[in-house]
Amino acid sequence: MSYANLRLADVEETVPESIQRPVRFLLEWIPLFIVIGFWEFASGVFVPSVVLPPPSEVASVTWELLVSGDVLPHLQISLFRVGVGLALSISIGVLLGVGMARSDPVEDFFEVFLALIYPIPKAALVPLAILWLGVGTETAVLIVFLACLLPIVLNSYNSARDVDQNLIWSAQMMGMPSWKIPLKVVIPATIPSILTGIRQAIPIAFIALVSAELIASNEGVGFEILRYSEVGAYTHMFAVLVIISAAAFFAVRGYEWLEQKVVRWT
Amino acid sequence: MDVSNKLSFDRTDAVNAGKSVYSLIIVLLIWEIVTQLGMIHYYFLPPLSDILVRFFEMTVDGTLIYHGYLTVRRALVGLVIACTLGIVIGVLTARNRIASWFFDPIIEVGYPVPVIALVPVFLFWFGTGDLSKIVLVAIGCFWPVAINVRNATRDVDENLIWSARMMGTSDRQLLRRVIVPASAPGIISGIQIALPISLIITFVFEMVAGGGGLGHIEIQGVRTFDSVQVYATLIAIMILGFALDRGLRQVRFRLLNWT
Repeated sequence: MSYANLRLADVEETVPESIQRPVRFLLEWIPLFIVIGFWEFASGVFVPSVVLPPPSEVASVTWELLVSGDVLPHLQISLFRVGVGLALSISIGVLLGVGMARSDPVEDFFEVFLALIYPIPKAALVPLAILWLGVGTETAVLIVFLACLLPIVLNSYNSARDVDQNLIWSAQMMGMPSWKIPLKVVIPATIPSILTGIRQAIPIAFIALVSAELIASNEGVGFEILRYSEVGAYTHMFAVLVIISAAAFFAVRGYEWLEQKVVRWT
Repeated sequence: MDVSNKLSFDRTDAVNAGKSVYSLIIVLLIWEIVTQLGMIHYYFLPPLSDILVRFFEMTVDGTLIYHGYLTVRRALVGLVIACTLGIVIGVLTARNRIASWFFDPIIEVGYPVPVIALVPVFLFWFGTGDLSKIVLVAIGCFWPVAINVRNATRDVDENLIWSARMMGTSDRQLLRRVIVPASAPGIISGIQIALPISLIITFVFEMVAGGGGLGHIEIQGVRTFDSVQVYATLIAIMILGFALDRGLRQVRFRLLNWT
């Protein structure tokens, strides 16, 4: 990074201050434009444009889909599934993680189940979810929930274990009843690393969502991708892919921004 | 890991082992009793004994072993390709300013793309065989490996590099003797993150496209309303995931026991 910045900084200093920001932006993103340009050139020359539609067409179709609103209901459903799954896994995961870290009986009870779920790639649980819940929202939510559960449990477990014992002793000394300690001392102290766990879980949630929707859904973004590819509308398929990637990208970025704004005490 | 060093098995060990698995045994017993009494529909939750018998049958007649082999081959070949490319490009990106300028934005944009959504298009490009699965696994696993290798290599202590240079290490030796060993923990972490991704992509591809493999067998169980087969395959998947994860941990332990 230091090398790259040095180089860019040199170039920036040669242009007037008012346009330094846009110039820097352009310099940083030139490689991306090169790749897109090569793709644009390759499609139709090396590979037929039906197989690999050029980015310009994909961009225009993406715009079309967003403006006409064809994809919006599906996007809404998918985001709803991700949101519910994540919220479930955060609430249950934090409880489990903190509970396991602070109480031996709880740890003895749940540890073996987590150890059993851990090695299974969560997408392999989709057929089981279909058996229980059928094809639809519940299946996708269950898979997102299971996929996000472990990073959140692990992060809150590790940090709840390492909570400064002095904090707990101080609280006890000042007469806090023991049932209040997890709520008032342990969870606030573990929040930074719970937030890291959530940050790790967001991309996982989107992967789980798309795999569940590809296999078992009648609506949602994953289903749209599968449907467009089955009718051979590859440009539309790529457009939907761009939209869901952008959603995942902005979910992570938005979360990081929010984390910086909200968590100011760390 | 520390268990293997200890040969004696005393009473506290037995108590601890009992404590950590008693809940599982209770749940499995309830499962068996409830299903034998017919309180849950057979289709949703077959008795555990039926599942284990089917698992045994499918293992003995080679179905699970053959399809497990197909799955593992696809996942691992893809993973190896991804690791090779990811390590080369990750190290380059961290140590070379032109590579850094070129690959950094591409990695930033490529990393969050849910590559798994490309399953339908790869099906169309490369067919239902091994090739499409391997290529998609390689693409999906490339990003986490590359980003971890880049970060690990970038964070190598400059003092180590300066010391080595001062003692006369050449550029080529520097990479092999200093940079790669110093960033090895980060590189292996990247591979550990990529391993489940390789399995997820393989399973989803097999479920959507068929062409054999454990994912195909599993979704076939759903389509033919044979839930016992789904559960039996899931046991095989669990064992497979566990074995691969443990194997990688062993590799990490062997390679990094100097840290």
